[in-house]
Amino acid sequence: MHMADALISPVVGGAFWIASGALIGYSAKKIAEEKDNSKTPLMGVLGAFVFAAQMINFSIPGTGSSGHIGGGLLLTALLGPYRAFIAIASVLTIQCLFFADGGILALGCNIFNLGFFPAFIAYPFIYKLIIGNKQSPGKLAAASIVAADAGLLMGAFSVVVQTLLSGISELPFGTFVLVMLPIHFAIGIVEGLVVWAVLAFVARTEPALLVPANAVKPPRLIIAAFAVAALAFGGIFAWFASSSPDGLEWSMSKVTGTEEFERAGNKVHDVLGSIQKKFAFLPDYSFKATETAATEHAQEKAEPASPVCPGTSVAGVVGSFLVLFMAGTIGFILRGRGAKPQTSA
Amino acid sequence: MKQSARLAYIHLAGRGTYAPAFFVNWRNHRAALIILLLFVFFVISVNKHDITAGIIYAVFPVMLITAGRLPIAPILKRLALISPFVLIMAAANPLLDTHPYIKINTMVISSGIVSGTVILIKSLVTISAVLAFTLCVPFYRICEILRDFRVPNVFVTQLVLLYRYSFLLVEEAMAMQKARNLRSFGKKGKDLFTTAKLIGSLLLRTNNKAERIYRGMIARGFNGELTKKKIDKIRIDEVVLTCAALLVFTLIRVIF
Repeated sequence: MHMADALISPVVGGAFWIASGALIGYSAKKIAEEKDNSKTPLMGVLGAFVFAAQMINFSIPGTGSSGHIGGGLLLTALLGPYRAFIAIASVLTIQCLFFADGGILALGCNIFNLGFFPAFIAYPFIYKLIIGNKQSPGKLAAASIVAADAGLLMGAFSVVVQTLLSGISELPFGTFVLVMLPIHFAIGIVEGLVVWAVLAFVARTEPALLVPANAVKPPRLIIAAFAVAALAFGGIFAWFASSSPDGLEWSMSKVTGTEEFERAGNKVHDVLGSIQKKFAFLPDYSFKATETAATEHAQEKAEPASPVCPGTSVAGVVGSFLVLFMAGTIGFILRGRGAKPQTSA
Repeated sequence: MKQSARLAYIHLAGRGTYAPAFFVNWRNHRAALIILLLFVFFVISVNKHDITAGIIYAVFPVMLITAGRLPIAPILKRLALISPFVLIMAAANPLLDTHPYIKINTMVISSGIVSGTVILIKSLVTISAVLAFTLCVPFYRICEILRDFRVPNVFVTQLVLLYRYSFLLVEEAMAMQKARNLRSFGKKGKDLFTTAKLIGSLLLRTNNKAERIYRGMIARGFNGELTKKKIDKIRIDEVVLTCAALLVFTLIRVIF
């Protein structure tokens, strides 16, 4: 469920970097307030434990395939939400840097999807609620399965929202949701069963290791979560916004007879305009067509017309590979200047 | 990918022994991280039908790989194991967007094929840049840089500890899994609930290890921070290098 850089726009990536960064800062502040350094190595080692536990595969009944634990809810049940969020974020950072599991600009999205939902929503509002003040095997099973599944489903839904807000994929919202949610529902059940079995084992053998559910106060971060959700939904509803002019455009059209100012022919303006088109950080993803092609396309809607000159496109691609080859050659020349790297530690 | 192969790669990359002298040296590691982020930002801002710009940006990782004499095999292995999620998203575009985009003689290439290809190119370019960066910069330097950027100390300490102990725990997990497999006949003993007990045992061992580590850290004067290194001030050469990279990325975008 890791988001990749190629699937998000800079605006979405940046927004979730800020959201996840703020959550890391908030969690770090909460941990600092606890003034309990004894849990610092436990956090680090439990983060490494998730790595290690992920290599132990189990067979999934009825599928013939095998899977491994995700670890988000398990970490939260062992460390509490703030420390677990930091631990999950660190695991995702290492995965991003060394294994390319999720991109570096998509790291904010991944920390949010895989850390925020299990640690700050599923654990305090589902797991804790089901467990209550008195833990029993039945409650532990229900809490683990429901919370793990809900956390994963929320994360999967968030992936859909982030991808669609970025506008990279052509998948319609409904289809994407129908593909993502059932798959992650099934994965979540399996994850929940493993979390339950591990927690039940720990509860029998070393119960002191589990964080008492009533010892953790619900995070006030829910306000921040709602703010982020509002932003996300604002983004979605913006797609369905009225195509009629807004207040300012309406006023302008009444005064000048046009909704936008027409710019006078100006060379500097034209150059800046072309640069602006190149730097469409939230591109409209329309075809990169020339004005003539676009007009022809509008006139001949029924007839499939190519908006791009094929010769230019092919030449562009071939030229790109040539530049790549040149870059490689320059690299080879430049490396002669540097000392040969040592390969031993 | 097997976790043991992943561990071997962390060991290789975490040392950051490969570095093109002209670009990534000890003094410039901080600028290199900013340049990497800028680079990824530029790549993902490429229009979804602009194949040319996507390929041109591959200049950066290709130069890092060739100039830094980076081992190409592990990078290619990771590129080959590109996320299935990305592949599915890229494959869906040709099916959903069938508008004709390029016409070469009688062959019509749809807009979906072009946008799907751009998703793949962007993925390969950004992943190879990140992998090249991690092969050039030691992991503890990345942690120091994060501290310089005022990332909370708890998070940086967490990264350092996670990196250090992943080797130890993965080895332990591998030994446990091997022991289980040796005692399993067919699929017996490999089911979810037996494996959960194995993971639970690993967890208890991990907890014991954490306690021993904490006592060791306390004995060495640990008070919540792993290092007392002062935060380095921003240097002029870092600013120049970053501005130069920004200019190059901008020029590439404008020209292509």
